[in-house]
Amino acid sequence: MIIYNPKNETILKERIIEAEDILNQIPAKYCFITGSFLYKENYNDIDVFVISRTKRKLEVEHKKVKITVIDFNDLYSLFYHSISKSCISKNILPTRPLKVTISDYWQVINEAVPTLLNQKDKYHKDVRSLILYTEYFKTGAVLDTFQLTQNINSFKNYTEIINYVKTEVPKIINQQAKASYVKRFFYTQAGYYRELLGYKAQNLLYQLTHDIARSINHG
Amino acid sequence: MVNPKEFKHEIESLLSQGYKVEFLGKNFDQIVTLLTETKAEKMYKWVSEVVERKIEPIIVGSKKQYKDWAVSELLTFRYPFSIENTEYRILFVKVKNSIYIEFHLGDHKYYDKVRKNLELT
Repeated sequence: MIIYNPKNETILKERIIEAEDILNQIPAKYCFITGSFLYKENYNDIDVFVISRTKRKLEVEHKKVKITVIDFNDLYSLFYHSISKSCISKNILPTRPLKVTISDYWQVINEAVPTLLNQKDKYHKDVRSLILYTEYFKTGAVLDTFQLTQNINSFKNYTEIINYVKTEVPKIINQQAKASYVKRFFYTQAGYYRELLGYKAQNLLYQLTHDIARSINHG
Repeated sequence: MVNPKEFKHEIESLLSQGYKVEFLGKNFDQIVTLLTETKAEKMYKWVSEVVERKIEPIIVGSKKQYKDWAVSELLTFRYPFSIENTEYRILFVKVKNSIYIEFHLGDHKYYDKVRKNLELT
């Protein structure tokens, strides 16, 4: 069994034994446990990830275990790099270079904004990708599940997250992408939102595309 | 226990449109029978709010074709819920300024398949 813990966060000792027992029940070479189960006395789920091509349903004798199967193609994603950063794994996990683009980031924002406006203050599960991508593009750091939870908990409510998006996203895109690409990409995106300005989410995304284009012009 | 036929009928009546919305999902009827009346009522309320434009949609700026439409012409409304320890999602798809075409209900695996076709993350 391998413990990945680059930040030396305190993992509960009894959970290491329990994690090993759960992982041994899974018939796959690459499987690991991450999330609050490792660090907190109280937790909701035990997040188990299995890297496999299997189509069979994997089950474990533990009510709180949630198994997510990830494909080998997902190893390049920011999501995999984050969940595998601090974890307990059955074997040494495969590594692949991170591949993430501004277009991927915008897709995350495009879905996070309506979701956030619908969920309001029940946002904690739904903003993980948004914060993960934003912090990655802002600082270059890939947050692990523990850091990501801490970061999300630092927001008091959903309006704070909306303000964070409005402030950070134009700056990040201005710094990370070429002006010609940004103009072309965001003018096209604005066109899709323009017809749906009656919805708060598309209105906000439309304003955001304008702020991004403006920051490039004044860049 | 909720009757799948009545569940679909209730949703159709909330939409009041000539076009017959498709109810899709690998185990649609089976999942509906697992719903409590309270959960079903919450879903009807959510559908009403979608119709009243109180729920925010997701639109994806992509020219990719999805059935008779480009993905960018579609509005997707997402409703997550769980029964016991299993998570499910509803994806309700509408053509921009027009009809509701699909009501998907399924588990994570089914959602993964549909979201890829609709270019959702």
